[in-house]
Amino acid sequence: MKNRRAFLASAALAMPTAAMAATGAKVLASPAAIKDCPRAVGGKTAQRFPQVIVQDQHKKKAWFYEELIHNKLVLVNFTSVQGEQHYPIVNNLVKVQAMLAERLGKDVHMYTITTAPHQDSPEKLKALADAQGAQWKFLTGQPEDVREILRAFGVHGAIHGLSWIGNEKTGRWLSKASRQHPLYIAEAVARLSTGEHYKPFLVDMHSV
Amino acid sequence: MLKKRRELLKAGAAALTVPAVFGGVMLPRSAQAQLCRATGIRSPGTEPDSPPVTPYTEPLFVPDALQPINPAQLATPPDPNRHQRFDEFRPQKYYEQRITEGVWNYHSQLSALTPAQAGAPAGTGSLAWLYNGSTPGETLVARYGEPVFVRRHNLLPTSDKVEMPIGFPAISTHLHNAHTASESDGYPMDFAVPGQFWDHHYAMMYARNNPDEALASLWYHDHMIDFTSTNVYAGLSGMAIFYDHIDSGNESDSNESALRLPGNLRFGGAPGSANGYDISLLLHDVRFTQNGNPTYNIFDTDGHLGDLITVNRKVQPYLNVERRKYRFRIYDGGPSRFYELALSDDSKFIVISNDGNLLEEPVEASTLVMGPANRHDVIIDFSRYSPGSTVEILNIMEQINGQGPTGRRLEGPERMKVMQFRIIDSNVVDNSRIPDFLRKLPAINLHEVVAEREWVFDHDMGLWTVNGSFMDPSIISAAPKQGTAEIWNFVNAGSSWAHPCHVHFEEFQVLEWNGKKPTGVLRARKDVATLGPNDHVKVFYRFDDFVGRYVIHCHNNVHEDNAMMLRWDITPG
Repeated sequence: MKNRRAFLASAALAMPTAAMAATGAKVLASPAAIKDCPRAVGGKTAQRFPQVIVQDQHKKKAWFYEELIHNKLVLVNFTSVQGEQHYPIVNNLVKVQAMLAERLGKDVHMYTITTAPHQDSPEKLKALADAQGAQWKFLTGQPEDVREILRAFGVHGAIHGLSWIGNEKTGRWLSKASRQHPLYIAEAVARLSTGEHYKPFLVDMHSV
Repeated sequence: MLKKRRELLKAGAAALTVPAVFGGVMLPRSAQAQLCRATGIRSPGTEPDSPPVTPYTEPLFVPDALQPINPAQLATPPDPNRHQRFDEFRPQKYYEQRITEGVWNYHSQLSALTPAQAGAPAGTGSLAWLYNGSTPGETLVARYGEPVFVRRHNLLPTSDKVEMPIGFPAISTHLHNAHTASESDGYPMDFAVPGQFWDHHYAMMYARNNPDEALASLWYHDHMIDFTSTNVYAGLSGMAIFYDHIDSGNESDSNESALRLPGNLRFGGAPGSANGYDISLLLHDVRFTQNGNPTYNIFDTDGHLGDLITVNRKVQPYLNVERRKYRFRIYDGGPSRFYELALSDDSKFIVISNDGNLLEEPVEASTLVMGPANRHDVIIDFSRYSPGSTVEILNIMEQINGQGPTGRRLEGPERMKVMQFRIIDSNVVDNSRIPDFLRKLPAINLHEVVAEREWVFDHDMGLWTVNGSFMDPSIISAAPKQGTAEIWNFVNAGSSWAHPCHVHFEEFQVLEWNGKKPTGVLRARKDVATLGPNDHVKVFYRFDDFVGRYVIHCHNNVHEDNAMMLRWDITPG
């Protein structure tokens, strides 16, 4: 824990030090009218993600990148309690969950990030997850923090049909429509896996 | 504990007190990229700029022609049963390509920044995926009537060992626009993983055995499902040239059917030397890290823009040219950039092809508009320049994100440098000609049409869609019968973005573009309809010669990888 703390502290400081060194810029007394947003550090695509804390449907808090993405094989998708009324994706992802079976929560991690952090409390997300039998994490948090995550994935609006599957050990990411046939989402997980779980395909669709 | 860590982080962040980018001291680009920006003002500026390089210091790389091998050298003999009509089109030329990870000198000033990587010492080159050691790979030079067999070996490291930060080390190689049986077409699911190879049989037959259907300037590039954009960006692209008795590649051809366009069947050549006179120019816009390696934001589904234009994977190269006519085959290799190319002296050149197919008549033009995967052959006559002078190719099309061009033209120093020609002093014989008539267009017989289809390209809920759907290789979205003709409509439902719509296997002729008959360069056979905002293009297709699985997709490869692709099949008639 101590190490991680030291690591974060150095990370947060690394950027401005470099910037100052390069420009000799003076530190302004009052903050400039531009919001700063520390980036995550340490992993292959860490710099693409904000350094923010999220909270799951069980009110467990975690650093988004460091604890949920870094060095992990993940499926990330986006919806909201209200968005599900108009464009449901959770029911399809529950089928993916069934295909991942015992890998889910062990070496494969699945996250649904709310697109409506103002409205979606952990309680509401828990109700949404429980109603469908979704065992994975449904994430909310401070609206400005969640918005930074949504922005990192290019998500706009309450409804978003694109999921990301990424292996942050290798830095390989791909997208699939959240309502894609669950087999192809599970196949993407197998293809991006390394070691014993790696499979180039689940259904061989090669020509003869 | 968490709270404390958060406070710590806040404190660290507060210490930033960023100097104002607007009006104050400029932050270095590397730091700028870390600033938050409202999503509504996204621009390529949100990515750090490439390290500065001096333009026109690298000689243009002109790939050699791929050299045939003795088929006895193939460790596993070709399996005729894997290919349609193999016995009918027995290969006369055999080739092998090995796809590896290595380094590539995009520019000496970028190479100087690179660490030791991919088995190469520090300072020797940017990370790249290579065909037989180069990118672009060697040029496949083929002739109609001489069937070709190419075995491509995937020798990339597995995904846990690969150093290239993007892409996926599985390959499927598409020979773009070739009239190829499905199993050799580079269908996205026909991929080979590291240690495997894939065999490609190119029948080198004219579509419908009609010389009016000849193809001239093609390119091969990776087509791996979900990873086309990144695999091509990593280096997996190369050119192909098809010749026949009309477009023979030889400007001194004594055969009276020969057009004698510029060219002497010489490819490659020492860097910086005057090369042959038929030269392919493959454009990819690339962005580099401070370590001199290619970089790419996988999460930007609008598209990827590089800030440096590479030609044949050299940043802003130069080419020595003699005072005579040259044929340049210009390819927009993508992934997402549209170009309007012009010569720096605003002088004119002659366009002789569209999507690599000869027009009926040459068209004089002062600029060339291209979208990803579009290809045009042009003839530039350098005899009008004096020895020692130079002329540049510039891009004057403004594009600020991957969605498509803004419609504004770049002016003055804003214009993007593409490459430079240096006119050298020489007494050359120029036997080449620019004929008044090139190649006849095949006749369109609308009485043959048995169906009309519509393909609507749109964006909805974060998804790039075709007819509201996204790539699912088990769904067949159209199944025209072999031996029939159809009318297809390509519709861009977007009012602010562009989609270069590409269909595999067959070419179309435009019947109407936004209700108007095609003229000039648009009177052509094409394989990419570069749809501008709200464009509606009506085209004529025939489906012949082979059956199987093909795809229709947006050739903004980023859109394609984000599922803007559908499968369609040709079924036996």
